[in-house]
Amino acid sequence: MEPTRLPDNSSQRPGPERRYGAARAWLARAASVNWEMARDAAPVGAPVRGPAIPEAPAHRSAGAPMAEAWPTTYALAVFAVGALAAFVASRVLSPVWLLELQHVAALALFAVATNLLVGYGGLVSFGQAAYYGLGAYTIALAWLHFKAPFWPSFIATPLVGAVSAFAVGLVALRTRKLYFALLTLAFAQLFYTVAQQQYDITNGATGIFGVAVPAVLMDPQVGFFFVFVAAALAMLLLWKITVSPFGLTLRAIRENRARAQSVGVNVFRHELLAFVLAGAFSAFAGGLFIIHDQSAYPELLDWTKSGEPIFMLVLGGMNSFLGPALGALVYQISHEIIVQHLKDWQLVLGLVVLAIVLFMPDGIVGLFSAKRWRRWFARPQASGPNPG
Amino acid sequence: MSVESLAVELLSAMTTAGSLFIIAAGLTLVFGAMRIANIAHGSFYMYGAFLVSTIVSSFGGGAFWVSLVAAPLIVATLGMVVEVTVLRRVYDKDHLTQLLATYAVFLILADLAIRFWGAQSRAVPTPAILSGSMRLGAASFPVYDLFVVGAAAAIGLGLWILLRFTLLGWRILAAVEDSEMLAAKGTNVRLLYTMVFGLGALLAGFGGAVVAPLQSIDTGLDANIIVAAFIVVVIGGLGSVAGAAVGAMIVGLFQALGILWTPSWAPAYIYLAMIVVLEIRPSGLFGTAEMA
Repeated sequence: MEPTRLPDNSSQRPGPERRYGAARAWLARAASVNWEMARDAAPVGAPVRGPAIPEAPAHRSAGAPMAEAWPTTYALAVFAVGALAAFVASRVLSPVWLLELQHVAALALFAVATNLLVGYGGLVSFGQAAYYGLGAYTIALAWLHFKAPFWPSFIATPLVGAVSAFAVGLVALRTRKLYFALLTLAFAQLFYTVAQQQYDITNGATGIFGVAVPAVLMDPQVGFFFVFVAAALAMLLLWKITVSPFGLTLRAIRENRARAQSVGVNVFRHELLAFVLAGAFSAFAGGLFIIHDQSAYPELLDWTKSGEPIFMLVLGGMNSFLGPALGALVYQISHEIIVQHLKDWQLVLGLVVLAIVLFMPDGIVGLFSAKRWRRWFARPQASGPNPG
Repeated sequence: MSVESLAVELLSAMTTAGSLFIIAAGLTLVFGAMRIANIAHGSFYMYGAFLVSTIVSSFGGGAFWVSLVAAPLIVATLGMVVEVTVLRRVYDKDHLTQLLATYAVFLILADLAIRFWGAQSRAVPTPAILSGSMRLGAASFPVYDLFVVGAAAAIGLGLWILLRFTLLGWRILAAVEDSEMLAAKGTNVRLLYTMVFGLGALLAGFGGAVVAPLQSIDTGLDANIIVAAFIVVVIGGLGSVAGAAVGAMIVGLFQALGILWTPSWAPAYIYLAMIVVLEIRPSGLFGTAEMA
């Protein structure tokens, strides 16, 4: 692959390029890997719409790109260790905990999928519950109306999520930032309304209970192991996507939209694909939820449910791939504990979220990052563009 | 459909629009000045309604008029406390951080409301002078609906005068345009932001107080109203008070039409209205692109 076929603007316009060095390095890297992708987008020499001066970089992610890509062998090793740990856990833990962790695994996938949009794409969607709930409703409705067997509808969940996310994304991605967040929210509320009001189709506010799930998955041990491995496999796939040329380009768009456009990236197409993928994986997570809960109800689609994966990814750390999964674990377990003993779950959650957004923007993962320890314990850095 | 029943429907639509406008005006004002999409605005609305119910139930029905003033003032104080303790720290952050910060405040206030007022729903009796209905030909209007519409009109007029003819209003508009320049000109922008946020909370609290007799007051009120208020503001265009008025009327009409035509689909109408408007004008009817 030839990395240097892009026109070098820096000789003509040295000013802004030098100032935005970090973003430029990212783009150069992303674009060099992404040559095939860039080819089918706008021609490289095409005039750039709008001024060439980049937008102000997002505060959180500026100059702090996500963790460097691991080789696939590392990721496979993490997967293998995780699967082994899940197997051991399924033998050791009590059924109550296994059921709880089953739920956690589904939510973890939901959060990681949402982070493809929020963390990698810089697209804050406040309506991801639509796809999670849709995944659950796909299986539940097929069972309710057609007595459909579990496996075909389970496999269909990502497809349903992808198709609906494609339709929503086509409309919602025409807007940006807050309008985008609210438009995705409006679509999710539309689904919520259908689920809540159309009693003949969806059982209305009551929801659908007792959905038939294969007997073998009802066993807590098998069920947990299956849900965990399925979620982990999906995450492995998502991870491959984030380190693919597509994933790198998505980050480049987040870092600097105007510049990504100017090197010939079709921004809309990349964002739409990210939205479709997030929808597909969220719907799959919703399918996994059915295995745990055997029910689908309107609250799965409500806007407050859409807030959950965002809390999880902020809690765990949106700048790392598995941070949101860790966030899901901490979120759900502390939810169970606090609801049992203290009642004021929202109060605690609110205070924790406030503390995180105000004082530790990299979440729990950030607490363990080498950079943080270095800042506290090592001698001050003499050089380097990004101290702290 | 007869003219009378159409008029009744229209008035009910305008009542919805009026209450939505009061709360949406505060939301859009805060967004215009500080670029903060305040999810906790719904909590302020709920607190306004709860405070009215508390005041009326402890001092009797006559205290309604006092509560109509006192409740928004208490909520405004609460709003200013929130601004000073939380929002000040996130003005220079990205919009995800800002959304999460106000969402966190929303959650905290929701649980505190359950602590203060319990989980069961409450009702506020309509004050005697505004109860009953007014006959006009074959149709009859609830008097209180007219009062809500009148209150919304008064708020709209008041905001127009504030923004058009007072120094404070000019400063708010200047902060919308360029807060740095305003600070350089000697205005205490921090204080101004606190006041704008207090004003926003005041409007939310007043909105909650005014509609208290119209609905049962419970702890789910905040989550329901904030979505509707955001839709109104987004349809009108973020940061535009006139847009909020138009957006409120559109949402009010769509809701009334929805209930008239297909009751079970009624809640979907306002989402569809928002989607259609944003598809045609991605920044809302009166919004500008850079507001987003």
